[in-house]
Amino acid sequence: MSDTSTITAHTPEDVSVSRLRKRLRALPITLYLGGTLISLFVFVVLVSFIWTPYPANKLNLANRMAPPGTPGFLLGTDRAGRDVITELMLGARNSLYVSVVSTVVAMFVGTLIGLSIAGSNKMLQRPLTRLVDTGLALPGILTAMVIAAKLGAGNTTATIAIIAWQIPVAARVTIGPARQILALDYVEAAYSYGRKKPYVIRHHVLPNISPLLIVLGSVMFAAAILIEAALAFLGVGVQPPTSSWGRFLNETQSLLEAAPYLMFFPGIAIVLTTLGFNLLGDGLRTALDPQQSRSGLA
Amino acid sequence: MLKHIFRSFFTLIFAALVGSVVVFVLLRQLGGDVVTAMLGKEAAPIDVSYLREELGLNQPLIVQYLNWLGDIARGDLGTSYAMKLDVFTEMMRRLGPTAMLTIGGLIVSVPLSLILGTYSAINAKKIRSGFVDVFTTVGIAVPTFWVGLLFALLFGVRLGWLPTGGYIPFTEDPLQSIRSVILPVAALSLGVTSVFTRYVRTAMLDVMNEDFMRSAMARGRTRRGAAIIHGVRNASIPLVTVAALQFGQLIAGAVVVENVFVLPGIGRLIVISTLGREVVVVQSLAMVLMLIILILNFLVDIAYGFLDPRIRDKESVDV
Repeated sequence: MSDTSTITAHTPEDVSVSRLRKRLRALPITLYLGGTLISLFVFVVLVSFIWTPYPANKLNLANRMAPPGTPGFLLGTDRAGRDVITELMLGARNSLYVSVVSTVVAMFVGTLIGLSIAGSNKMLQRPLTRLVDTGLALPGILTAMVIAAKLGAGNTTATIAIIAWQIPVAARVTIGPARQILALDYVEAAYSYGRKKPYVIRHHVLPNISPLLIVLGSVMFAAAILIEAALAFLGVGVQPPTSSWGRFLNETQSLLEAAPYLMFFPGIAIVLTTLGFNLLGDGLRTALDPQQSRSGLA
Repeated sequence: MLKHIFRSFFTLIFAALVGSVVVFVLLRQLGGDVVTAMLGKEAAPIDVSYLREELGLNQPLIVQYLNWLGDIARGDLGTSYAMKLDVFTEMMRRLGPTAMLTIGGLIVSVPLSLILGTYSAINAKKIRSGFVDVFTTVGIAVPTFWVGLLFALLFGVRLGWLPTGGYIPFTEDPLQSIRSVILPVAALSLGVTSVFTRYVRTAMLDVMNEDFMRSAMARGRTRRGAAIIHGVRNASIPLVTVAALQFGQLIAGAVVVENVFVLPGIGRLIVISTLGREVVVVQSLAMVLMLIILILNFLVDIAYGFLDPRIRDKESVDV
């Protein structure tokens, strides 16, 4: 995982318009695809704050399990008569909320741990790296169960579980590249005129691994959305009345024969969002990798 | 080699200890009292004090921790209060479906991803490999439980080919038993295969650029022949580590899939116990699952040393 390190040189800011256009065209298609999907996702969440087809948890008892295309309910209603579009929009909100909080915290803590390990002395480095590796091998669902058993199910549990699971990921990805940069000549030079390690890490290592961290963030975001949905599906995540894609899917499970179409909507929403962040990550990786973009621009 | 085994063993013990402390501290310190979590806030004081005594919660934390470790070492995982069961016996009883799911997942996903990844690496930059890329990209984004539901809908409800839930023990009726896990294993394998295929592809692309591959082709092997004869073997070395990482993912997937297909496995047990706030059961189950994963990692680590002599020596120089 650490081998995918990317160290970009700083690109000149003053690119002329034609070069800019050329560069935009050279950007990978995955970047545009992912960007579009995520913009759509964020747009839906923003709209949900000012408008949803029906108020949250409005039960339309006369129209329970209405099939898609019913007047007034474009995608139909669920078992309790809630509008599917409204549920999906509110579910997106919860998905975004949990993912943003957990990704930001996990990125921050994980990167800090990774940088500290990379900057620590040789004696400590190996056992600590091994420990991070072990953390990586443990499934996040297990942590979630442990936390949920004590705290009870809910968004907080899901968020803490995702953070606990993502910290080793962020740390592991940071260690390798950070070590590579710490071994470079200009870092040696910085030491020689009296810079201390924390300064070097903040001013030399961090800017150089930031492209990597951006890619990492995007991929972690996708994973967070999947786990949030899985935890909600298992009943360990967010509780009613808050809408969630995962719990929506759980509720459709008993309707497999009566209303099979219902399970398609939240599933597709999860797939498109996860796909969006993964594609964005892939695209950024290619775009920010100096070797690949050089050949792409030539 | 001995040094390598010793080092891996030390890591195993170290990680297991750290892990056990984390599980213990999380469950004892997070969000208040254990007994309140288990019995609820309105529990009768007499029940509370009885349970406190029985769980040994009145002892110092360190004594509680050591007692718990000792119990686990003796195979005593505690008792489930809601289900009135000995956790160890229950776990052994539920091992079957979980083992079939995870092993089945490995049997399906490893060969499949080796084939897909190699195919994609040999045909890199051709449209053909693009199909594999699309498959893996989508496969990673699709939630396991949704795939499970889709399979249940298509093959269970619509076509009626396979059961949508339930489990028949292998010893009772091998054929029906395998039939009952086909859909769960398929659902579980999709994500794991996708991730693993990507690793295979990357490893193969690296190996394809090695000198010995060029020599093989110079001696008259085709690109595909060289890749299959020399490439797969060399690429498989880094993949062994990834496979160990994937084992944790398989167990996580099994927890989810068992709940979709209502299989009476360990994953179902841990979810039921979690929802029932059975702190003691979850604590023990999490520890045992963690130990299983750590021991597998340890074994893989040793196998890795046997497969690639460079690893043993390299470690003393580099992390």
